[in-house]
Amino acid sequence: MAQIFSRQANLLTRLVLASLVLGLPLAFFIGGAYYRSGWRTGQDVIRAQPVPFSHRHHVGQLGIDCRYCHTSVETSAFAGLPSTDICMSCHSQLWTNAEMLAPVRQSMAGDKPIRWRRVHDLPDFVYFDHSIHVQKGVGCESCHGRIDQMPLTRQAESLLMHWCLDCHRQPERHLRPQEAIFTMGWTPPADQLAQGRRLAEAHRLDRNVMVNCSTCHR
Amino acid sequence: MPPIKPADLQKIGRQLANRHGKEYWRSLEALAEQPAFGAYLEQEFPRLAEIWNGPVDRRGFLKISAAAMALAGLAGCERQPPEYIVPYVRMPERLVPGKPLFYATTLSATGTGVGALVETHEGRPLRLSGNPAHPASLGALDVFNQAAILDLYDPDRAQTPLFGGEPAAYSRFEAEWRSRYTQLTRQRGRGLHVLTPPLHSPSLAAQLQALLAALPEARWYGHTPLERGGALAGARQAFGQPLEVRYMLERAVCIVSLEADFLGDMPGSLRYARDYSGSRGVHGKRQDSRLYVIESQVSITGAKADHRQPVPPSQLDPVARALAARLGLPVSPPVEQPVPDYWLAALARDLLTRQGQSVVIAGEQQTAAVHLLAHAMNARLGNLGRTIEYYQPPLPSPAQDLAELLAAIAAGEVETLLILGGNPVYDAPADLDLATALPQVPFAVYYGPYANETAAVCRWLVPAAHPLESWGDALAFDGSASPAQPVVQPIYGGIEPLRFLAELRGQLGAQPRQLVRDYWQSRYGDADFDAWWNGSLHDGVFAGMRASAVAAELRPDWNKALPPLPQRQGMELRFAPDPSLWDGSVANNAWLQELPRPLTKLVWGNAVLINPLDAAAAGIAQNQLVQLAHGTWSQQVPAQLQPGQPRGTVTLHLGGGRSAAGRVGNGIGVAAYRLRPAAQPWFTTVQLQPLPAEQQVITTQHHHRMQGREQQLARTTTLQELTAEAARAAEPQPSSSLYPEHRYNGYAWGMLIDIDACIGCNACVIACQSENNVPSVGPEQVRRGREMHWLRIDQYYKGGLEAPKVVFQPVPCMHCEKAPCEYVCPMHATTHSSEGVNEMTYNRCIGTRDCSQNCPYKVRRFNFLSYTGKDALTPAVIGTHNPDVTVRSRGVMEKCSYCIQRINRARMAAQKENRRIRDGEFTTACAEACPTRAIVFGDINDPAAEVSQLKSSRLNYAMLAELNTWPRTTYLPGVRNPNPEIARHEGQ
Amino acid sequence: MNGDAETDRPLARPPLLKPGQTYATATDQIAAIVLSRKTSKGWWLCFGLSSVLALGYLLGAPIIFSYGPGLFGINIPVAWGFPIVNTVWWIGIGHAGTLISAILLLLNQKWRNSINRFAEAMTIFAVIIAGTWPILHLGRPWFFYWLIPYPSTMGVWPQFRSALVWDFFAISTYMIVSIIFWYMGMVPDLGSLRDRARKRWQQVAYGLLALGWRGSVRHWQNYESAYLLLAGFAAPLVVSVHSVISLDFAISIEVGYHSTIFPPYFVAGALYSGFCMVLTILVPMRKVFGLEPYITLRHLDNAARLLLAAGLFVAHGYISEFFTEWYSGSTFERTLGWSRITGPYAFAWWITMFCNVLVVQLFWFKRVRRSPWTLWVLSLVINLGMWMERYVIVMTGPARSYTSGRWDVVWATLFDLATLIGSIGFFFMLMLLFVRFLPAISIFEVRELVREQKEEGAP
Repeated sequence: MAQIFSRQANLLTRLVLASLVLGLPLAFFIGGAYYRSGWRTGQDVIRAQPVPFSHRHHVGQLGIDCRYCHTSVETSAFAGLPSTDICMSCHSQLWTNAEMLAPVRQSMAGDKPIRWRRVHDLPDFVYFDHSIHVQKGVGCESCHGRIDQMPLTRQAESLLMHWCLDCHRQPERHLRPQEAIFTMGWTPPADQLAQGRRLAEAHRLDRNVMVNCSTCHR
Repeated sequence: MPPIKPADLQKIGRQLANRHGKEYWRSLEALAEQPAFGAYLEQEFPRLAEIWNGPVDRRGFLKISAAAMALAGLAGCERQPPEYIVPYVRMPERLVPGKPLFYATTLSATGTGVGALVETHEGRPLRLSGNPAHPASLGALDVFNQAAILDLYDPDRAQTPLFGGEPAAYSRFEAEWRSRYTQLTRQRGRGLHVLTPPLHSPSLAAQLQALLAALPEARWYGHTPLERGGALAGARQAFGQPLEVRYMLERAVCIVSLEADFLGDMPGSLRYARDYSGSRGVHGKRQDSRLYVIESQVSITGAKADHRQPVPPSQLDPVARALAARLGLPVSPPVEQPVPDYWLAALARDLLTRQGQSVVIAGEQQTAAVHLLAHAMNARLGNLGRTIEYYQPPLPSPAQDLAELLAAIAAGEVETLLILGGNPVYDAPADLDLATALPQVPFAVYYGPYANETAAVCRWLVPAAHPLESWGDALAFDGSASPAQPVVQPIYGGIEPLRFLAELRGQLGAQPRQLVRDYWQSRYGDADFDAWWNGSLHDGVFAGMRASAVAAELRPDWNKALPPLPQRQGMELRFAPDPSLWDGSVANNAWLQELPRPLTKLVWGNAVLINPLDAAAAGIAQNQLVQLAHGTWSQQVPAQLQPGQPRGTVTLHLGGGRSAAGRVGNGIGVAAYRLRPAAQPWFTTVQLQPLPAEQQVITTQHHHRMQGREQQLARTTTLQELTAEAARAAEPQPSSSLYPEHRYNGYAWGMLIDIDACIGCNACVIACQSENNVPSVGPEQVRRGREMHWLRIDQYYKGGLEAPKVVFQPVPCMHCEKAPCEYVCPMHATTHSSEGVNEMTYNRCIGTRDCSQNCPYKVRRFNFLSYTGKDALTPAVIGTHNPDVTVRSRGVMEKCSYCIQRINRARMAAQKENRRIRDGEFTTACAEACPTRAIVFGDINDPAAEVSQLKSSRLNYAMLAELNTWPRTTYLPGVRNPNPEIARHEGQ
Repeated sequence: MNGDAETDRPLARPPLLKPGQTYATATDQIAAIVLSRKTSKGWWLCFGLSSVLALGYLLGAPIIFSYGPGLFGINIPVAWGFPIVNTVWWIGIGHAGTLISAILLLLNQKWRNSINRFAEAMTIFAVIIAGTWPILHLGRPWFFYWLIPYPSTMGVWPQFRSALVWDFFAISTYMIVSIIFWYMGMVPDLGSLRDRARKRWQQVAYGLLALGWRGSVRHWQNYESAYLLLAGFAAPLVVSVHSVISLDFAISIEVGYHSTIFPPYFVAGALYSGFCMVLTILVPMRKVFGLEPYITLRHLDNAARLLLAAGLFVAHGYISEFFTEWYSGSTFERTLGWSRITGPYAFAWWITMFCNVLVVQLFWFKRVRRSPWTLWVLSLVINLGMWMERYVIVMTGPARSYTSGRWDVVWATLFDLATLIGSIGFFFMLMLLFVRFLPAISIFEVRELVREQKEEGAP
């Protein structure tokens, strides 16, 4: 009687079996890679804003201090976005007719707040507090990257949980002296680890507390 | 809970009639377990049916396909929707985004002022707590005033003026009123009638006075469901003038309560609770203070009494006379009264030996005679000026009452009627039928927060602003005044009371702030007024504005005023303010509806409370519908068999059966007012008739015995045993382990709960609910045993059914150092912090519920369905959500976190200053709200901390210590101080 | 000669096959069920019925997924309900297969040959269903994969101290191993099916599944050794899986859960319910497909004996558990014990005792062991009893826990019942499909029996 299967059938079967064995791990690997990528985390994605605000210009070129606009960064969980009158404190004098600043002027005139798109969006069950980080030796740059080189603001880091934990588990690798908190492009000293430990000591950092679940999740 | 056959109850009665000592009797259900068993199975099938009326049928098949997505695990990967940051245009002063601001104000949900602090986030009022600077609060806050924050956001509040039920512009009302007012002024106010609840705001009273002065022939009537005429009448008979009373319980070591629920519903209860517990030197350091309670209901004051006598309401007067006679007062003792002689004799001796440091308190709801006798006894015992002060009622009160208003309406004299608050159509006595009378009034205006029963029969409804939206002031129980300031613009466009009254006088566009300010300037004088005013606003009290005490002389012929002894006939029905719903005005508040009433543990509805023995005699079973009839009036109410309920007396709480309360409160419970005669507001005779129907009473605790676990659960002892060192608790030491014990180097958070100080008032429960975004789940879910309160108050009975002793035991998470819940969680969702807090990480929880299964204290709560989302069964009020606490989704476990958000806030504040957290720098929400400071929280690594001090007491014990869980929350036992004579008699 | 052999040779062990079987007849008859024989009315009836029941499960599950476990009858304190009861019950049922196939194989019990195939199938379907219950029981089921220890972006691992994680491993391992074992065992038969198939689709389908089996000596060699290896690997699972499940309870401190006897007691219970289910299916199947020649009374008898043994072990479990409650002197334990026999859940306890302890005693009598339909009825009874036993274990402890102020009970909702019954229907649905499309009796192993029978039978 005639053969049911051609010769290739054997090969095919083997391939199928092989792909079952190899395919699953591969799929898992690809999935993991995607999950960590910018497509998923929003890292390095530039969000459209009502006003194309350039940190590079204001911070990098004009050298305005972070705290001039982010007023509550040292006192509150929320760093604070500048209220319109802060923008207008300069722009009532400078670029008073610039097309790109129209939304700001309208906001002031119409008493309508500007709706900025949030760039660094942590899940709602994560309770991040700017003030404590800023006061305990974590520089803006450590999380926000070289903001002074960003024409348009983007999320510099993945903000994945293990990224947070990397620092919470070994703060000494990132801590900087208080005067360098708001500086961009700070280069760690050769003995960063030693200095980091000294700082951690001075700040009375309790590493056990820093990795408690309830430190970030309530 | 299954119904219980009367036969079983007689059995119980015999078993327990006079049983004493430490063994706790089995709960009624437990006793009747075998007969109950059949009933359980019967219950099953209705439940099967109910599930279809549950969440499912309301939603489409879409959800189910969504579930398929969930199956595929896609829900795990969904992105958050884009978020926007909307900064201010101009940043308000002193506002730091992300940091709360606190304002002091005064609330008066129960008719007298209580100082409160309002927590606001970015201008959003969020939470209410007590104002430590206020005499009526001292930092504590009662359930009604705490829950007021929920009403602020209640979408059922009146949102616009209604004209004949149709929305109308306020300007239109103003126009109509202006024309009417000019006419009224022409006829000097004739035809204008004003009906108000009792006033508690001086500035408002002044406005009203001004209105009445402008229209001299207008008439002013008063009405309140919480009638307390007896108090003032009694004082008038005793002293010749109506006087208000101030008790100084911190100085009283022998307190006799003639049904004065001074820990519960009496004005100033918060302050009294603090003073009372102070006088008992709680936290194990006991003085020889004693409390006797004679009452005709079950109250938390009675539950805390060292000796309690349940008597029918009509018998309070005879008992008071008998006591007075024994104290040597010129009163003819009654031939018979229910309290045994040895008991009264012992009480009298106790009182006489402690003259000047004792006090006899008559309840607000008692007759003039009882008050008169109380005044006389206090005078006899030399307590006047020592433990009692009197002061003149600071505010005017109306001369006429509701009955007279009805007469006027019937006579057609009422052309214009102003009803300023209250809800008379709902809460008027049954024989005053306003519902039919009011429509006869050509121009009736109802001014109130809700479009309620009264508004429905008035021509106009003018929506009132919420107290947190209004300027004003209020008098506390002791006659001290304090300011009330708004923290938010009227959310639903309500009109502030001061503005409304001013505009009634034609003063359009009056500024309430200016009005109240001017009033107090007139009281204080102009000298440095601004400083005083701003200081008062900041502190939340008007410094130096307290009604001064007056010397009171007992009239020599006082006893002539005593009426003839009341005759007692048959079963008596006692009305009482609902421990959770008050007079029913707050019926639309889900927090309060779901708040387990002390002693009854009822939620979502009221029931007729009847002593199990009476029930057995009448053939009434638990949950059985009973027809209560008084004359031609009748109501059908489910029965709740209540141990300790006086024999021959049934209690029905006010506040149920609202028809126009709102979506939450409508149709919950039964309206007691429909049985209430105007003549006898607080008790009357009643016929009980069991009906062949059942309606399940929803309670949160089904079992009130300790099963011989007294040492493991809630301990009690007596002062005698303490002093005799007899009751030294052999504390089972945590057995040592093979492994080296963990050291807690930093902070070690711990809590101590003093069962002796706990009065079971529920303030902590509501405080926790509002601090931690605890959802209300609705009657159906509670009936299934799924209430979400993180902090519950377990309650156990001791002794017979007639007058059992009661133990309250607040039970939050124990935060065990060796927590059974932690090692069974497959997800690391519940873990142990380095400071010993048992953390619950919601976002890591997948809902296996193994932690709850393994929790010996059963303090964990689970989101069985969506209780907070858009599809929630009782939608959460977003406005009150605490931004520092995660709102839990369906399918996650939750529990007491020791207010971890407060710990973190305090820790960060301290770290910024490189210092340790100071003791008392912060505390948990429950401890903050507790009037008797029964809950103490702090760092047990700090030997100086109050909590460590208290935990060092030899009485300190851990619940179920033998399980070796090492709880961080420990207890001090309840301590009673029985009168040796009585104890001997009762063979204790 | 016909009729049971014992009638004329009472002392000899009755044969495993009806005499007069040849390789050809065996192969033909069994293969025929799958290939040529027209689907019987009985099959259609059972299939229709079971698939209707299955709807309760197939529709109930998604609804519960979308609304949450609140649709089950659970609360605080009794936070575990039907889903856990069902898990334990189904896993138990899933135990017979591996026992029969692996352990009896290693013990060289030839009688297993004609029943191992479908016993394994039973195992697989039961375990698959059992595996769905814990997920259905979760509050947020879509996150169940967090139980897998993979390097996640959270930098957190599952907690390996938790018995629930061991569960996950135990069940999934068991499922995978039994599937491989089952499939491997079928390969030779699939080969012969392929060869005898006449229809094109059958040839292709069985051909693919047969993985090019040619029955060459080398094939047989590899096959035998691999099969033996797998058997050796599977055997320990019989003991381990249910022991691990039992630890969900045993390692906790809850009253009535915290009990060291649970592992052996659960395993015994598992075999007990497993063999019950074997009988429940065996008896009707041999009738419907006329398999009496291959599944003889001897098989039923042996199964019944095993059942009796397991039953006695379980009874011992009950007694010692009760004894411990009393002997511990702990007020908590004693209260629970008393509540089990008098409390709200007493009905379940009494049913358990009746079904699992009393009824099984009938198996002492040969007449009972040898009358198929009696066995069938009794097996149903015991299945019920075993379910009730798990119900008692799961519900009573929390309902009468340490803090007496929190005592409460819960009752089944519509969803509890619908999904449970539905899962049973689903199970039978799968079984019927299996019997219809795959060789329910191992053809080549029966051939071995035939040969042996010849040798025995030769004078």
